[in-house]
Amino acid sequence: MALFGRHNVLLAMLLFAAVAPSLLNAYYVFVANTILIYVLLAIGLNILVGCAGQLAFANAAMFGIGAYGTGLLQVQLGWPFWLAFPSGAIIATTVGLALSLPALRLSGLYLALSTLAFAQFTQWVFLHWESVTFGAGGFKTPSISFAPLPVSKTLGLYYLSLLLVIILFFLAQNLMRSRIGRAFVAVRDGDIAAQSLGVDLLRYKALAFGISGFYAGIAGGLYSAMLNFVSPEGFDLFQMVIQKAMVVVGGLGSIAGSILGATALVSVLEALRAVKGFQEIVFGAILVSFIIFMPGGIIGFLKAKVRGWEEPLHRGPPGKRVPIATPSQSGEVRS
Amino acid sequence: MTLTQSLKAGLISVLIAGTATQVSQAQVPGVTADTIKIGSFGALTGPGYLYGKLPMNGIEVVFDEVNATGGINGRKLVLVREDDRCDPAAAIGAVKKLISEDKVFAIIGGGCSNATFAARASLDEAKIPMIVMASVHDGITTPLSPTIFSVALTSTLESQAQLEYAISQGAKRIAVISMRDAWGRARYQPLMEAFQKKGIKPVLDEEMSPDANDATAQVLRLKAANADAVLIVLYPKPAAIFLRDAQKLGFKPLAVGQTGIADPAAFEDQVGSPGATAQFRTISMVRYTPEDPAVDKWRKAIESKFSGDRLSVFNLFGIGAAQVMVEALKRAGPDLTREKLVAALNGLTDFKTDVYGAGITCTVTDHRCNKAPTWIAKEPGKPVRVLGVTKVE
Amino acid sequence: MTLLAYLLLSGLTTGALYALIALGIVVVNKATGVINFAHGELFMFSGFFAWMLHVQMGVPYLPALLLAVAFGFMLGVLIDLTAFRPLKNSDVISLVLATIGIAFMLRGTARVLWGGKSDYLPFPPITSPEPVMIGELMVIPQQLLVLAGAIVIMLVFAAFFRLTRAGKMMQATADNAKASTLVGIRVDRIYMLSFGTGAAIAAAAAVLMAPLTLLYPDMGFSFFIKGFAAAVLGGLTSLPGAVVGGVAIGVIEALAGGYLHSSFIEVSAFIVIMFVLIARPTGLFGPSGLRRV
Repeated sequence: MALFGRHNVLLAMLLFAAVAPSLLNAYYVFVANTILIYVLLAIGLNILVGCAGQLAFANAAMFGIGAYGTGLLQVQLGWPFWLAFPSGAIIATTVGLALSLPALRLSGLYLALSTLAFAQFTQWVFLHWESVTFGAGGFKTPSISFAPLPVSKTLGLYYLSLLLVIILFFLAQNLMRSRIGRAFVAVRDGDIAAQSLGVDLLRYKALAFGISGFYAGIAGGLYSAMLNFVSPEGFDLFQMVIQKAMVVVGGLGSIAGSILGATALVSVLEALRAVKGFQEIVFGAILVSFIIFMPGGIIGFLKAKVRGWEEPLHRGPPGKRVPIATPSQSGEVRS
Repeated sequence: MTLTQSLKAGLISVLIAGTATQVSQAQVPGVTADTIKIGSFGALTGPGYLYGKLPMNGIEVVFDEVNATGGINGRKLVLVREDDRCDPAAAIGAVKKLISEDKVFAIIGGGCSNATFAARASLDEAKIPMIVMASVHDGITTPLSPTIFSVALTSTLESQAQLEYAISQGAKRIAVISMRDAWGRARYQPLMEAFQKKGIKPVLDEEMSPDANDATAQVLRLKAANADAVLIVLYPKPAAIFLRDAQKLGFKPLAVGQTGIADPAAFEDQVGSPGATAQFRTISMVRYTPEDPAVDKWRKAIESKFSGDRLSVFNLFGIGAAQVMVEALKRAGPDLTREKLVAALNGLTDFKTDVYGAGITCTVTDHRCNKAPTWIAKEPGKPVRVLGVTKVE
Repeated sequence: MTLLAYLLLSGLTTGALYALIALGIVVVNKATGVINFAHGELFMFSGFFAWMLHVQMGVPYLPALLLAVAFGFMLGVLIDLTAFRPLKNSDVISLVLATIGIAFMLRGTARVLWGGKSDYLPFPPITSPEPVMIGELMVIPQQLLVLAGAIVIMLVFAAFFRLTRAGKMMQATADNAKASTLVGIRVDRIYMLSFGTGAAIAAAAAVLMAPLTLLYPDMGFSFFIKGFAAAVLGGLTSLPGAVVGGVAIGVIEALAGGYLHSSFIEVSAFIVIMFVLIARPTGLFGPSGLRRV
């Protein structure tokens, strides 16, 4: 395998991530932990949007549901973190599954809007269901301890995140290589054709939504523990844009790309601190340039330029654009 | 070079640079023989920038003035800004960067409430002295933090003042209209508690979103309920829409605002409906509105340094906070340590700034140093009037 | 006057704001098949530009309006050249993100240029600010102007698409770009014209609406969301649908606020849309049933 092949690069990143806390100061450890959480979000979103082709805007909401779920189960019901964390993820997964129902009827921008509407609704619930969610002021989550292990909370959480990233990365890779992954790609590239080949749309769309909900829920639980604070701000549409950008910048349809995209974007956001008041402008410019000059994302670029980067890239064929608003087939001119 | 390689190379070089500077660092972070680094965090981008970027501009002009006369004990003041986008996670990141990476001596910061509140744990952990410039969240100063001081009126103080004022003006049927975001809620809750303590209930409890364009439903209900005073917990835009629609529908209660609407002259323009603000009274964290000749010096400073900007109350927040920091740094003496700065801040008693309603007083047990909400009003066609300063406990 | 009448009127006037935004979105979509997520920022930026001309530099109202519309048109063309043309064949999400990137740039630039002036900039209305009586109801004249503006734009563009050659060329391009090229339509020019026109509508909307909504750098997004929702509700390719959708959202919000509680105002429209889309996946007036295989 070539020196800069996919496995080697990912391995190198993994090794760096493993020793990072001993090399970096508190600020960089915080950034690194943030990257790990966003990697999870990006992988989940990529499975839904890149591989299964569902233009959904609800991921940030499910991220929030995971965070709120984990946090509230601890604060309101007194559950320990080890119980609340997976439960929060399960709640997010369930919500994701429920979202797949409208996805059966809707596609393209109509699906985008209805998932966006759902995201707005979730924000509204976070804000107004004060008896449960503490409303706009948010709430503090209890500081978790890794009791028998001799690690501080920061270190412990970092390695927990790293461990989860490794496990869920391999899970995603294997998923995409399996029959399920192929079904996703079939649904994306032509769901009517897929149906005619016997792919059960409901089952696979639900699976895609559920999986992305699960990943987002896990990420949300880790986030609530890392910040020790949950509030509605972190799960708004800006958050959704960042996540989408990670997926596109990394490479739609590539799981490894999600890692690179998340790392790149979080790093860019932190690096932009240097530009003080011009962040928005520079971020926008970077985003647009990336999309124009690297249409396949980082992965597409690597595949083209670096020898040896083999990658099972499940992208649609170039030049194909999924129709947004399907115009009528008849020849008449409508107004 | 692949992108990942470049990223790693960049990260490693930053690491090396960081370690190198650590070796040559003075013992007290942020202080060298001729500079003091002061950090600031708040929103530089996003809608919260009014409470972040603009106060920071105010801080800089104060620093410029101090530096022009040689600095404090021979050291010039340098401001390091960090953006938190009004987001709790970004605020924690900003604070960690200021502490571990920029290594600032002290901080004047805090724009958005939730963001500052989320960052409090990191600030307390590092024991870095901080003056809160604009956040009103009570949780930042209560329970007491040994190193965090606030010169912003806390939301509890303002809400209590709003209710007191309405009662003192003889209102019997008091209603509330509020925004339910973090800023609004930080005020709404203490307001409800203040009502409870007085044993009265609001006659109606309405809500408006920050981007709302219409308040007809709310106004009609308030009118039907015969509310004679409305406590307004809104930003200027929804408040302007509310008063405009109230005028349109013939509803003219006593309108009691707060520091979110601190410039009655600008507000009158924003409402745009002649006579609608006749009954509007509001609190200002600072004694002067931007048009007042007493702040001419600062107007010139802001408008020449930041071309295109107009002096606003948000700048004044930063100016006041910076003056307090400068005074405390002076009192801490040439042998500067963080402990000495904290002691100096604790010792401030009735310190007069150019902007606040009364002197700044901090004690060891109470770090809410500004308790002087100033009531101001503007009759249509007349200049802004200061009605009085309420001292709240 | 009954509560219902007041609420309907206020729903109508707020809905007109949303309708104006939705119209710009639909005009672009009809011709290019793309939703420009920077539409709200185009609206905002042109509004600030008009403010700069009219309030700061004293240019009289009508020339300021025309200059702002021209400026908006140019911004739209710029977006076509930078974001759309290089990405014509990419997937939807890349296009959406590219327009979002441009939205960030516009918002940041507006904040840098004008953010330090005030929190919300007032803009003088063309009409007098005194409310007028219609029957027993009071209305601010500028609101009526916005409603009239929305209807005029809808009629003008409906006529444009149905009757003029350029309009028909735009629809042909949206239907099938390759075939259009084959019959001699300069597709690139059409795209540029479409983006420019959509942005020009946004600019006109901004000047009409700014007196009512005040100007601030972050105003674009909340209007875009409502306008997008209105456009989808009406069916993304129908101009009357955009107006109906906008008014519908305004009325739903007003009724929810009036009869339920003001906390429902923000969210009611989205709940209704979610359900409408499940029943009619392509919106109220959208093309029905047919799907491309």
